[in-house]
Amino acid sequence: MKNQAVLRIGSIVSFLVLWWLASQLSGPEILPGPVAIGRTIIENFVTPGPEDKTAEFHVAITLARIFVTFSIAMLAGIALGLVMGLRRRVELAVGYLIPIALTIPTLLAVFLCVLWFGYSEAGGLFAVIMTVTPFVTVNMLAGTKAIDKELVDMAHAFKANRRLLIRKVLIWQLMPYIFAAFRYAFGMTWKIVALAETFGLKYGIGYMFTFWFEQFNMVQVMAWIILFVALMLILEHGVIARVEEKVFVWRPIHAL
Amino acid sequence: MSSNAVEIESLSKMFPAPGGLSRFTVLESLSLRIERGTFASLVGPSGCGKSTLLNIIAGIETHDSGEVHIATQDGGKSNARIGYVFQSPRLLNWLTVEDNIKFALEAQNITRANWGERVRKYLDLVGLAGQEHNYPLKLSGGMQQRVAIARALAIEPDILLMDEPFSHLDEITARKMRVDLMHILEHAKPTILFVTHSLREAVYLSEEVYMMSVKPARIFKHLRVEIPRPREPEDPRLFDLEKDLVREFFSVLEHDQR
Repeated sequence: MKNQAVLRIGSIVSFLVLWWLASQLSGPEILPGPVAIGRTIIENFVTPGPEDKTAEFHVAITLARIFVTFSIAMLAGIALGLVMGLRRRVELAVGYLIPIALTIPTLLAVFLCVLWFGYSEAGGLFAVIMTVTPFVTVNMLAGTKAIDKELVDMAHAFKANRRLLIRKVLIWQLMPYIFAAFRYAFGMTWKIVALAETFGLKYGIGYMFTFWFEQFNMVQVMAWIILFVALMLILEHGVIARVEEKVFVWRPIHAL
Repeated sequence: MSSNAVEIESLSKMFPAPGGLSRFTVLESLSLRIERGTFASLVGPSGCGKSTLLNIIAGIETHDSGEVHIATQDGGKSNARIGYVFQSPRLLNWLTVEDNIKFALEAQNITRANWGERVRKYLDLVGLAGQEHNYPLKLSGGMQQRVAIARALAIEPDILLMDEPFSHLDEITARKMRVDLMHILEHAKPTILFVTHSLREAVYLSEEVYMMSVKPARIFKHLRVEIPRPREPEDPRLFDLEKDLVREFFSVLEHDQR
């Protein structure tokens, strides 16, 4: 564990050093150095930028958008996947639609929604939900196919009622699939939210990319990108990975 | 109700044949009675419908005609408690050993206040005291099957069904498990219907042996093993019994084929 930490810190430090060297060689107007970027990020939080908003405001908006669309897409995808997996008729009726939904390019979905809803909050959020939900559904459907019939029979032999069966037998078998969907959907959600903000939505981190891009302000564009990446890394590795570790203690070697 | 724990009356079961058009008979008017507190074995070749019979008794498979009756301790006021030990342990790997047993107790609506004592008692009986908080996948195959046995015993069943419970274990472990099962049964004395394809195992463990033939399955021989228990696995009387039964078994098989 200690070695791992040393390795990680070492790699981050050498990355920063390389970055600094590269910026020295190319000149800071082409590649701003880490110090300039770091200072800009802090300044953005302290002093209000365009439209008198600080970085805090944009971060909060982006996180809220991610949270809302991600929750809706997860719940809808899980419900849809479960219904399809447990009711053969539903699968036969709507199963073929899923590959179609999966094929629509994400960028096009965002454009489509701008055309449908205009540059409105609902349109942007709908684009995210529309693209993420099918991925969750597919994962859950695969999960229901992998349910061990022997364990279900065992539960029936001991006369477990439906509630107990779901709570102690089915949910746990679906858990790896729920988490796979969770991770994948989360990665998709923040990328598409950023995209939707870049192209249509008002406020948010993606909106700031566009704002500074149009001013040709390299330092600001990079500062916002790095802030965004750092936030998402913290969420993915700090939060989701911790929860996973707790849920999967029963596995002898958790391959996480 | 007599002192029979299980009464099966002219039970029939058909399965759709592969292809789905016709059906073939697995069990045909099969009747069987097991007295309370008896260890009965059902011996027959693989695929003769032994497991199907157990599944019908356990209520996880339907039957086409006939009756299955299981007596309860209170004379039929409550549902019969059925304990089932499968070929593979079929444990819930995400629950601790203790919680696996509690799963069965909860399924059977046994008062929560008794759970702790039941878990302790039956884990102790199968020799797994101290493993309460371990997860199944950290245990060996033999130990996992012991948990499965504790789970089935813990509900204090009216009938304990065992479907070749030692066939997945290596022979040395299986042997030890058989001897241990004998000792366990000195303390808990449930009615047992034990399914196996091994005559050796059947004569060593049981008081009653029922022999089954194939397609459609019927019971062609019922034998009482009079040797008092606990028995020595190497008891020569068991070998003689096994030899006689094997001979008889083959004569029936040949007769059936003619």
